[in-house]
Amino acid sequence: MYGNLVIRPEDIENWGKKVHEEDPEKLAEFEARIERGEKIEPQDWMPFEYRRQLIRLIEQHAHSEIIGALPEGTWITRAPTFRRKLALMAKVQDEVGHAQLLYSAAETLGKPREAMINDLLSGKSKYSNVFNYPAKTWADTAIIAWLVDAGAIINQTTNSKGSYGPYVRALERICWEESFHLKYGYDSVVYLATGTPKQRALLQDALNRWWRPIMHFFGPPDNLSVHTEKLVKWKVKLATNDEMRQQFLDMYVPKIWELGLTIPDPNLRKNPETGRWEYSDPNWDEFWQVINGNGPCNKERIAVRRFAEEKGRWVRRALLESQARYVTPLA
Amino acid sequence: MSSLDPRIRRAEPELWTLSTPPLDSLEHWPTYEVFVQRMRGGHAQHVGSLHAPNPEMALVLAKEQYARRSQCVALWVVPTEAILWTSPADEDLFQPAVDKSYREPQGYLNTRERLEKYRDRLQATSHD
Amino acid sequence: MIERLETLVLSLADDELIIGHRHAEWIGLGPILEEDIAFASIAQDETGHAQAYYQILTDLGLRTPDEYAFQRKASEFRCAHLVELPNFDYDYALALMRHYLYDAAEQIKLQALREGSYDPLAGLADRLLREEKYHWLHATTWIKRLAYSTEEAYLRLKSAIDQLWPYAWMLFEPLPEEAEIVEAGWIPPSSVLRERWLELIQPTLISANLFPPPPASETLLPLQGARKGLRSPYFDELLQEMTEVSSSEPGAEW
Repeated sequence: MYGNLVIRPEDIENWGKKVHEEDPEKLAEFEARIERGEKIEPQDWMPFEYRRQLIRLIEQHAHSEIIGALPEGTWITRAPTFRRKLALMAKVQDEVGHAQLLYSAAETLGKPREAMINDLLSGKSKYSNVFNYPAKTWADTAIIAWLVDAGAIINQTTNSKGSYGPYVRALERICWEESFHLKYGYDSVVYLATGTPKQRALLQDALNRWWRPIMHFFGPPDNLSVHTEKLVKWKVKLATNDEMRQQFLDMYVPKIWELGLTIPDPNLRKNPETGRWEYSDPNWDEFWQVINGNGPCNKERIAVRRFAEEKGRWVRRALLESQARYVTPLA
Repeated sequence: MSSLDPRIRRAEPELWTLSTPPLDSLEHWPTYEVFVQRMRGGHAQHVGSLHAPNPEMALVLAKEQYARRSQCVALWVVPTEAILWTSPADEDLFQPAVDKSYREPQGYLNTRERLEKYRDRLQATSHD
Repeated sequence: MIERLETLVLSLADDELIIGHRHAEWIGLGPILEEDIAFASIAQDETGHAQAYYQILTDLGLRTPDEYAFQRKASEFRCAHLVELPNFDYDYALALMRHYLYDAAEQIKLQALREGSYDPLAGLADRLLREEKYHWLHATTWIKRLAYSTEEAYLRLKSAIDQLWPYAWMLFEPLPEEAEIVEAGWIPPSSVLRERWLELIQPTLISANLFPPPPASETLLPLQGARKGLRSPYFDELLQEMTEVSSSEPGAEW
């Protein structure tokens, strides 16, 4: 009546290759539980496909946080005031903290952190495309903290209604911390927008460069996305990419316009009849190019993570005790 | 290729030349479960886990990951492997099979009613 | 009197500002996520301490914290060279050893300031000691654990302390007009503080076989004058980087 889930990384490798015959009775019980709105906990029986998809999802989310610390980290040593410098340190620290929480949540499904990091460094596992773009000026940090984090909040708030307990718990804390990021980002943007002509120009330039990656942020349009019916049923995926993108546009386009900024898309408008936003094709070819490793910063981002892991290696090895044993964490 | 980040520029060219073999298993240390007592008099609550090489370091590291913003008066860490739990398959352990209202306050909702009935009866006899 | 107070407060504040800046370079690059987070907090704390120290001067009608941090010339800074040293090739042993030596010194100074005669400084020191408690716990736990772990870790710590030792020693270089500052009762003489500092770190470092002899005077010679405005060769680049945005549009608010 007690136990410990131990799954070796090679087991997970094999899951992808096998077609699993799930016990129909257990599957029905599992699905009924989700249907009732109950959460699934790590020790519960779950279909292999559910476990595999969740590991993939949470792991990518964790990678996005740790890689996401890099573009903004670029400006920590150059932040222009005490308040901004402290806030930026705290924000980037939060991103690292979110990675810690998310890796732990993914670990409860049986994949150790080391295996996830190895998959990130080898390029096998992906992270959010938006972090493969450079933060060229201080205004970029403001746009990232406001609009990219706004996108992240929409995505994460949606996912926090999901079925997997440890992920939901991690997301609740993450969303709470992200709300500071959003306020900090908006405050920074407003200072630039209401500042000198040079500051306004810096901000407009940053918006011009970040708009397309932000449009890509929620993923390809629904008609190009893979079939996800099962993931919807299992409450792994809770909203479609287009639904989240529409929600983002609804919430933030008016706020951007209010600042007197120009969104670099002449076709962007809300269709009064359908109530939906229409926009130019944000170049989905570029999206696939960047995912496949050819974005402006992919190589540097991975190189920096490799560097950090390698530089930390002697520290970690020095303190690892010989009798240490890996056990899957609980949350 | 030169980074836009001055911190990263200072790591070049080593950044591009460093040999980086894959991580070994357990290289990120084993895990501990973290509990936070938010105020005196309250229970310590489980808030998550972290990787640490020993209990002492686990406490030091837990302080900033799990108590840097929220209110906290005490932290506990426990090696994950020290924790035992009941299986979800045994959830029925916690569900009573027969009426156990005799040990709940709600099992005693009719006491007053009995007293009132008795009074009514008394009154009825005294009027006779 | 106000000039002397400024001398003292800037020596404290500038140390905090610059060590916070150097520690912050590790955010996102730490040896493991959990430590990345802990060290990022320490970087924030030190930067926050700098701001609070400058504020004492602001309250006397002098410059604002942002003006002190972002609008001074290199020669106006009064920090020790220890905090200016770059993170070189990102050796965490160097970062931890600097953190250990520095926070030992900070603790000694704060305890002394708390007993000092200048109330705003004494009150601030009392508050800062709260955060310092964690810094010291973090630093000593790391150093003690690493010193007794692997040969590689020991050798890295050894090389770190050998490199940092003369710089750490000079954290206690006498301030200009120190006699008058001591006379005012604000803080004891640097030599006394250095003795207390040595007493604090000696037991741990001796038992770990990491305690160097006092630096030779010829090693210290080129490090002199930090509290009078002589900067290390590393400072100009740091200052240029730190003020890159703020100086790009003078008078602007960010």
